[in-house]
Amino acid sequence: MAADMTGPGTSSAGPLSSLTQRARGAHVSGRRSPLDGIYLSQLIPTLLILVISVANMWVCSLSLENASFTSHLAGIAIGLVAAAAVWRYDYRALSNMTTALFVLACVLMALPRVPGLGLEGGLGGLGWVRIGPLSFQPSEPGKIVTIFLMASACAQYNGKIDSFRDYAKLCGTLLVPLLLILSLDLGTGLVVFFLGAAIIICSGAPRAWVLGTIALIVGAAAFVVIESSIEGIPHILQEYQLKRLTVFMNPTANASDDGYNLLQSMIAVGSGGFLGKGFGNATQALSGFLPEAETDFIFATFAEQFGFVGSVVLLGLYAWMIFSTILLALRMESTFSKLVLVGCVAMWTFQVLESVGMCIGIMPITGIPLPFMTYGSSSMVIQLVAVGVVQSVWRHRQKAA
Amino acid sequence: MDLTLVIVIACVVVAVALVLVFVVFGRSEANFTFDIGGAGPRASGGSDSSSEKTLSGRLVGLAVTVGAAFAALVARLWSMQLVSSEQYAAQAENNSTSTVYSQAPRGRILDRNGREIVGNRPSLTVVASSDVLSDEVEMQLLGNLIGMPAQAVRRKIQDTSEGQQSLRTVSVDVSRRVVAYIGEHPEAFPGVEVQARTQRSYPYGSLAAHVVGYTGTVTSEQLKASQENSSEDSITYRSGDVVGQTGVEAQYESVLQGVRGEQKVFVDANGNVLEYSTNVEPQSGSDLVLTLDLDIQRAAEESLERVMGELRDTGYAATGGCVIAMDCTNGEILAMASAPTFSPNLFTGGISTTDWEALQAEDAHYPMMNRAIAGQYPSGSVIKPLTSFAALDYGVCNTGSSWYCSGWWTWDGNPNSLPVMKCWWETGHGSMSLADGITFSCDVVFYEIGKGFYNNDSDGMQDTFRRYGLGSATEIDLPGEATGRVPDAQWKWDYFKALGYSDSDATWQGGDNCNIAIGQGDMLVTAIQMVCAYCSIANGGPVWRPHVMKGVRAKVGEGFVSEYKCEQIRDVEEDQAFRDVIAQGMEGVIYREDAAQATHWTNLDVTVRGKTGTAEQPGGDPIGWFIAYAPAENPKYVVGGNMDRVLQGASSAMYVVRDVFGAIYGQPDTSTTTTTIAD
Repeated sequence: MAADMTGPGTSSAGPLSSLTQRARGAHVSGRRSPLDGIYLSQLIPTLLILVISVANMWVCSLSLENASFTSHLAGIAIGLVAAAAVWRYDYRALSNMTTALFVLACVLMALPRVPGLGLEGGLGGLGWVRIGPLSFQPSEPGKIVTIFLMASACAQYNGKIDSFRDYAKLCGTLLVPLLLILSLDLGTGLVVFFLGAAIIICSGAPRAWVLGTIALIVGAAAFVVIESSIEGIPHILQEYQLKRLTVFMNPTANASDDGYNLLQSMIAVGSGGFLGKGFGNATQALSGFLPEAETDFIFATFAEQFGFVGSVVLLGLYAWMIFSTILLALRMESTFSKLVLVGCVAMWTFQVLESVGMCIGIMPITGIPLPFMTYGSSSMVIQLVAVGVVQSVWRHRQKAA
Repeated sequence: MDLTLVIVIACVVVAVALVLVFVVFGRSEANFTFDIGGAGPRASGGSDSSSEKTLSGRLVGLAVTVGAAFAALVARLWSMQLVSSEQYAAQAENNSTSTVYSQAPRGRILDRNGREIVGNRPSLTVVASSDVLSDEVEMQLLGNLIGMPAQAVRRKIQDTSEGQQSLRTVSVDVSRRVVAYIGEHPEAFPGVEVQARTQRSYPYGSLAAHVVGYTGTVTSEQLKASQENSSEDSITYRSGDVVGQTGVEAQYESVLQGVRGEQKVFVDANGNVLEYSTNVEPQSGSDLVLTLDLDIQRAAEESLERVMGELRDTGYAATGGCVIAMDCTNGEILAMASAPTFSPNLFTGGISTTDWEALQAEDAHYPMMNRAIAGQYPSGSVIKPLTSFAALDYGVCNTGSSWYCSGWWTWDGNPNSLPVMKCWWETGHGSMSLADGITFSCDVVFYEIGKGFYNNDSDGMQDTFRRYGLGSATEIDLPGEATGRVPDAQWKWDYFKALGYSDSDATWQGGDNCNIAIGQGDMLVTAIQMVCAYCSIANGGPVWRPHVMKGVRAKVGEGFVSEYKCEQIRDVEEDQAFRDVIAQGMEGVIYREDAAQATHWTNLDVTVRGKTGTAEQPGGDPIGWFIAYAPAENPKYVVGGNMDRVLQGASSAMYVVRDVFGAIYGQPDTSTTTTTIAD
């Protein structure tokens, strides 16, 4: 999948940015370690998370019908292979392919709507596609494509967007794939929105415009929610979508499935206590009280077993991985490289915040996977590909030398 | 499980290896920072340093945002997993455990000699686990076997009131045939069992039904009350519990109700039992011994039934009656009967709608009401001994006073004055002493006494009645007691003004005094109040609180674990000379008032004193009263009762009282003469 996605434009000798050329001699001090091409600060925490993920999924597979351990391992294996391929590939080739990326992003986001390909998926979501024996969520690779799309579009301005036309154009570039996916899969849409917005903001858009845009979005979101709550007019959000968004504010007052799920999830997390109930000892998650224990509420499953200590360790690994990526972005010279990394950081941060936050009742309920932890191969492969992208950035940092 | 260990070890090894790799090789990356960080920005300096700054600034901003997101998550986890952890743990515990309840048998109710009035009988009950719900064929088979529609079987199995994991009751009291069939075909009925449970049984049928009361499934009000009142010793009910609803069953609920068994089980989200935990065996309730004597009780009920039947044959409605036999030396109730009666058995396992409606129907004359304590009637002439005491106490007359009864009476003695009030003996009793007034129940004597009190502007009569306990509850240990009413000027004013009457209609008149002097007008008493008042007369003052509970029997042996503490509730002081006059009058009622009446008592060895009464009531025939005590020399028993819608007390309630004395002394009434000329 990853290979397909990055398919167009495989020329290895891509045009180099002027900034990387200036980094000549920076890393030729001769101390070349065997792992030189690997950014360990980011890879090690990722792999540690994967280890936790494997152990966690093993327990899930023992008691939950829907969780297959081998399938999870297969997802990790495919993901690692794809990540390795991406790692070897020079991502900079993509920096000038804005148009192609735009088309690809739109195609991926629209794919589930193609008659014959679309597949009835999980809870109210339609974002699945079946091609031959393979069924997957094209919106997952769509996230990576969007990262490159926005990074390449924004990098043209080299960190300085002076004209409002350009700013509007960037926003428009994001808006098309965003709207395509938002109406289909709210969760992925939000991820795409946040990573796109983060890239635009970090690319140097003037503060006033950014704030103005944020105000506009908040206003629009408020309008959508309010509009959808008024009886008797056609609603933008379906009732189940609206409920999922608002139920976290008062789970006990809502007798819906979502209210119940959230309550059970919070009981699972809270009852974990300081040290947790122990490996495989999750009475909430593994006895069926917590629905979607291996997907949407995977964090609750983990937190119940390993408690506050385990949760902090896991979150610490995510933070380690994300901060080392930010650190790498700070050190990179090329705007494109920086923005690609920003996209990955934004994606992971938002997915962790949303996926963990919804389990503990501080975020609305949307089915966003927790990177590397949630059961499901589409997500696993794409998250590992994103790791591959970060590694690729590292590997190609001194190409000029 | 071995595989789990392998995986855990593998994961740990890999994790340690990864950390080692980082520790060993991770340093080269720091060097990168050093090299590039120093060289890069400087090299690119000059013209576009501002955009470089913007980008770095934005990235720092991003880092801060990421940090804030993680801080928020950790803060929330801190509050959930460290601060409120116990609360969530309790909820999780609540989720994953469930309790299966088993009913404890109620205690039995025995008479004073240990005979069982209310017991428990084994009841074969078909129960089914909830799994049976998924088997349509089995439910159909079960329905056919028991003889109920498959839909009803389904509803029974869906009922979770005994606990989610408990077996659901499908049918109680099934036949041996059903039990045998299920036992022989276990393969056809997976998840179905036959259990031996207990049901309330009544070996003597409806005997003493009003005293023992009935049981029923706990009502929502009782459920709520028991949950709000969560003190140590009170029972907290669960939906579906069988509790006492009336009578002794309700009054001594805490004694009779056992402690239900509780089996704690661990369950998964689908309610499947994973593991069994602590188990508390059910403890049956304690046996309660009553003061009732079944022989006397049976005689009382049979007599009521017989006399009412005879009166109905002669054209009287005889809609209801009651009789109480009390040991005046300690307040023990030996018999308490109320007619018409009901069968508490109807309530076992839930009363049917038709049966309930039949009990509530107007023409059934309220069989559920215990007339002995809840029936409020005008007392009629049985109050005359009390009126006499009042008159003597307050000097309205003295022991030597006499009156002349011409059969009619007006306030000023002028036959043309209105209203003309009549003595029940309209031809006139002639010259009457106070004792004669009681004996012959001469109304004129008591009109004069009422007038005397009015002229003295005294509430002496009402005060005397209250001293004897009228107008207030005796606090017998049975629920639903009525308090009666002793009317006075204040009461009349309040009562009639509230109904919108004029001032003159609401003002206490002399006629009101005359009315209450003969137990008419607005006077209302209960039979138990009158019997207690007569206890005071019999005892020469003291009254013991009436009660039906003798004690709680020990689980082992014949002894009591607790006994009713007899309690003197009042001691009415009277001059002994006054008492003699009243005693003389009351003895006269038995032996002098009417020869036919006397024949019923002369065949009893002991001397009896008593009083008849006939109280006019609105809307039909009067209510007849009779209350007596014996032996006259050293009183032991007070027996009194009334009968509604009859000719008079002497031909109704008196026979019942006589039959009760007959049962007490083993000397049945052999006289068949009837009187129609006594009060």
